[in-house]
Amino acid sequence: MPGTQTSTGATVPPMRGPAQGDTDAVLNNQPNQKYWSDSATGDLEQRAGHSRRVAALICVIGVLLTALSSWAAARVDDKAEQRLLQVQTKQAAAVLSTAILLIEGPLRTALSVQRVAGLKDTTAFERFMAASVGPDKSFVSASIWHRRENHLTRLGSVGVAPALAPGRPATEAYLRRAFHTTTFTVRAVSAGAQRRIAYAMAAQGSDLVVYAERAIPADRRSPVASDSAFADLHYAIYLGPRTDNTSLSTTDMDPSTLPLTGTTARATVPFGDTVLTVATSSGRHLGASLSQRLALMLLVGGIFLTLIAARTGQQLVRRRQDAERNASTITGLFERVEILYGQQRELSVRLQRALLPHAIPNIPHLEIAAEYMAGAQGVDIGGDWYSIIGLNDDHFAFVVGDVSGRGIDAVAVMAHARFTLRAYLLQGDSPAVALEKCSHQFDISVDGHITTTVVGVGNWRTGEITIANAGHPAPLLIAEDTTEFVEVTPGPPLGTGPTTYLSTTFTMSPGATLFCFTDGLIERRSESIDVGMLRLAATVQTSAEEPVDALVSRALASLRSNDAADDIAVLAFRWIPIR
Amino acid sequence: MAEFAARPPQHGVGSLAVSGEVDIAVVETLLAEARACLNADVSGLVIDLGGVTFIDSSGLGALVRLRNEAAQTEKNIALAHVPPAVARLFEVTGLTGIFPTRAGD
Repeated sequence: MPGTQTSTGATVPPMRGPAQGDTDAVLNNQPNQKYWSDSATGDLEQRAGHSRRVAALICVIGVLLTALSSWAAARVDDKAEQRLLQVQTKQAAAVLSTAILLIEGPLRTALSVQRVAGLKDTTAFERFMAASVGPDKSFVSASIWHRRENHLTRLGSVGVAPALAPGRPATEAYLRRAFHTTTFTVRAVSAGAQRRIAYAMAAQGSDLVVYAERAIPADRRSPVASDSAFADLHYAIYLGPRTDNTSLSTTDMDPSTLPLTGTTARATVPFGDTVLTVATSSGRHLGASLSQRLALMLLVGGIFLTLIAARTGQQLVRRRQDAERNASTITGLFERVEILYGQQRELSVRLQRALLPHAIPNIPHLEIAAEYMAGAQGVDIGGDWYSIIGLNDDHFAFVVGDVSGRGIDAVAVMAHARFTLRAYLLQGDSPAVALEKCSHQFDISVDGHITTTVVGVGNWRTGEITIANAGHPAPLLIAEDTTEFVEVTPGPPLGTGPTTYLSTTFTMSPGATLFCFTDGLIERRSESIDVGMLRLAATVQTSAEEPVDALVSRALASLRSNDAADDIAVLAFRWIPIR
Repeated sequence: MAEFAARPPQHGVGSLAVSGEVDIAVVETLLAEARACLNADVSGLVIDLGGVTFIDSSGLGALVRLRNEAAQTEKNIALAHVPPAVARLFEVTGLTGIFPTRAGD
């Protein structure tokens, strides 16, 4: 029972709070502080609001982090895609360069064949080109021309009629261009609905020029074989550096959907006196599929985790709030209980002290000391008491008693015993008679307590003492050189039932001290009562020469343990006759 | 702390064994246990104190109270196996003659 102890000292503890009449005010006014939180609606709403704010904050942070990581993953994936596409586009351009050789090669060979044959005979040229000209072959039309003084003459031709018809100035102008380049010239031409590419190549150091036309598929579409290395690519090949539809040469797409969108890459390949521009886009994801899905996975997973975190956060906040609330409730109750215990104990101690003699009477030739000490534990006080009473001109009476048990009831029984004995003693009854009369007035079945007590009557002129004992530890008689317990036959405690008591009479030697006490001074749970009695005798023997109050204080100080539960009353007097 | 063990009555006498520390904290339990043993079927109760290591004035008071209550219904309370320290306490408190002790104990 923590903190309930008010005082274990022999002096009255300072009273806390107002006087007794104001006790109710103390009880009612004290708790201004809150002992438990009100479960008012506002409070609940506030708590719920707080936990929702935490959840919302977690959500915002979680979504931000998720979006950031998803975006980063997507960026990484994009860059990887771009790089892969560029690599593939370069590879495609390299393949295209090789394909151009298939065009350039036959033309160059045809020129050589014609140079060897001379200007008249074109049979060899026609026979050679027949292999490359026709449906499903490289060219649809081919012809060989000779330049003489800026005038061009067609020597022979193979295949269909060319789009650039012989004899027209545009045709000759185009053919003449071929003499200004070391490779071949390229241009787009139209033969009716058919789009063609026209090639012209001049032989170095001669006046021969070969001309050929290659058909472009009507829709200009040429799908990529699905098993090709470039099956994942969409492409559009443009003649020249521009990528508008008029320059479009070949594509695997519907031309109306061009230009290519999405992740695109571009490469140019030298093509005669112009270039081919290869534009590509990825038909599907080129890199590892995990890389593509990572962003989405991060997004979905992140949002999922965010929701869980938000929910958990909300619960944790609520739990913490609940715990704080419970803790403050428990602390408040403890404080309340402690205050109540303190008040109750204080009242009990005040009652007890009110029942003890307020002042020790002056009795001639007696040096008197008395102490009462409350038990250290709990709120309940004991029922120990002492009395010393002047009776008449030469007699005095003294009582030390102990009511079993603790609490207000025990104190009430103590008061009953104390004042009943006092009354009998004042009317002149001997100790044994006073006890016998009392034994009729106490009943444990009614009171719930038994009372042990030593009652004595003394003559301060002669030092003669008569005592009787109702179940109480016998007093110690401390003389100059001996300390011994007074031999008095104990009768049963008060409350046991009606009975009679024996008494003992002895005479104190001058300066001797009679030391009466209650069992709190000698009782130890672990040992027989004799051990405690011998210890007390030994202790007081060493202080026999000291003043009585010092003797009492020393006995209490050395014998009372700090955690003693029982209360203690001690009454001692020394007889100092006039010599 | 104290422990209580009630045994079935033999020859019309109940038996309650008490052990441990009999103090103010267990007095009510002691009273309740003993009263339960002192039912209409028995003529008396033997309280075995063999295991008692300590008894305070409240414990003594409870024994006195049981004795007085039993006497009102003309029953007897006897003590058995009283340890020396407890017997000495009975002596100091003038209770020795109050309780009959069983022969041989």
